[in-house]
Amino acid sequence: MSSLLAEALAVAAKDLRTEFRTRVALNALGLFALTTLAAVSYTIGPYRIAEADRPYLLSALLWVVILFASLAGLDRTFVKEEESHTAPLLRLSAGPHAVWLGKLLFNLGLLAALMVILVPLFIVLMGLPLVLHFGWLVAVLAAGGFALAVITTIVAAIIARAMTRGALFAVLSLPLLLPLVIFAIQGTAGVASGEIEIVHQSLRAMISFGGIMVVVSAALFPVIWGE
Amino acid sequence: MKFSNIAKFFLLVWMLGVIWAAFYYVQPAEGFIGQSSRIVFFHVPTAWVSVLAFLVSCVSSIQYLRTRDPEHDIRAAVASRLGLLFAVLATVTGAIFARIMWNAYWNWDPRQTSIAILLLIYAAYFALRSAVPDPERRAALAAVYAILAFVTVPFLVFVVPRIYWSLHPDTIINVRGANDFDSRYTQVLLASLAGFTGLFVWINSIDCRLDKIRRRRQEEVL
Repeated sequence: MSSLLAEALAVAAKDLRTEFRTRVALNALGLFALTTLAAVSYTIGPYRIAEADRPYLLSALLWVVILFASLAGLDRTFVKEEESHTAPLLRLSAGPHAVWLGKLLFNLGLLAALMVILVPLFIVLMGLPLVLHFGWLVAVLAAGGFALAVITTIVAAIIARAMTRGALFAVLSLPLLLPLVIFAIQGTAGVASGEIEIVHQSLRAMISFGGIMVVVSAALFPVIWGE
Repeated sequence: MKFSNIAKFFLLVWMLGVIWAAFYYVQPAEGFIGQSSRIVFFHVPTAWVSVLAFLVSCVSSIQYLRTRDPEHDIRAAVASRLGLLFAVLATVTGAIFARIMWNAYWNWDPRQTSIAILLLIYAAYFALRSAVPDPERRAALAAVYAILAFVTVPFLVFVVPRIYWSLHPDTIINVRGANDFDSRYTQVLLASLAGFTGLFVWINSIDCRLDKIRRRRQEEVL
């Protein structure tokens, strides 16, 4: 088990190192998020939406930005291995579960970095009262981000082996992510409006969804990777 | 006469009986506008068959990954296709009912939302199939996606409609576990479920055979 973790960390560290050489995924994710945030903030801002509607509409906007930003960059981990023809070498040097876990850790890191920058900016620019229940906000973001990373990682592994990768990534991910995004928006809106009962419900749903996806992905990844 | 011919004839008579019973044997239910409650005999079975088809597709996909027998891949693809067809029928019959009861074909009720996403998932399944040229790799990747998709189904069918308030009439096995239907409704509905399931099995076997022939011809051309 510890050797699996060590291998996975090595894969994630390798990915991080190559990522910092080109910064393709980081740029795609960050620039997409900042551009949409600028557009949303410029056209809507904090005062265009009535006070009562703010928690729901602004939470939906926040998750739309996170969702599309992750669709822009989270497929890179696997696609770049295929494009640079390094996948066979990686297959030789690490077991499939270590590769999957390493790539998942890398995507989780990327998503966490995105959220750390994006969410405070969003709160400041859009005037969303999320800081009142800061602990719950972190819980919702963590649970939603975790499930998001798990699903995009396994779908990225699938599309890396197919043609027309960019378009296919969004087509395959979106339907699987939709229930998750619904729960996440609900949870964030609950945090913003102070209705902790709703936050509990959506957290439970997100954690169970993420947990099931972890089990299924771990079981199925060797099939995709070996194919 | 062969058994399959008898079965087909029996299915025809059975379905005619179900259609007759749906319109003449039961009375319109209370609390529903006009005759609209009768649609339950067609809407529920199509929804049931679509879920059944997706279950078949998931099981066939798992079997494909274990045995690598192309026959299971054909089964998974055919079942998904039929599941998609029946999901469209369930959506359309649901929308007709919604128009009569709530005066709008579509209002993003949680049930409607979840079936719309279900349609998207299986449309994505076919998008993936068409994007992988190598048949063995296509079969394996599609099988993985079918299993992932099937894991999402319970969340769409059970969790989302429970968390959100819905206008949808109680499902037959509702929260209390009680059966609110009139006994005649139960009889016809069960008969209809059986008939639609038989119909699915029949179409499925025809489609599997057709697909096998198609594949063989493709290989001959190559």
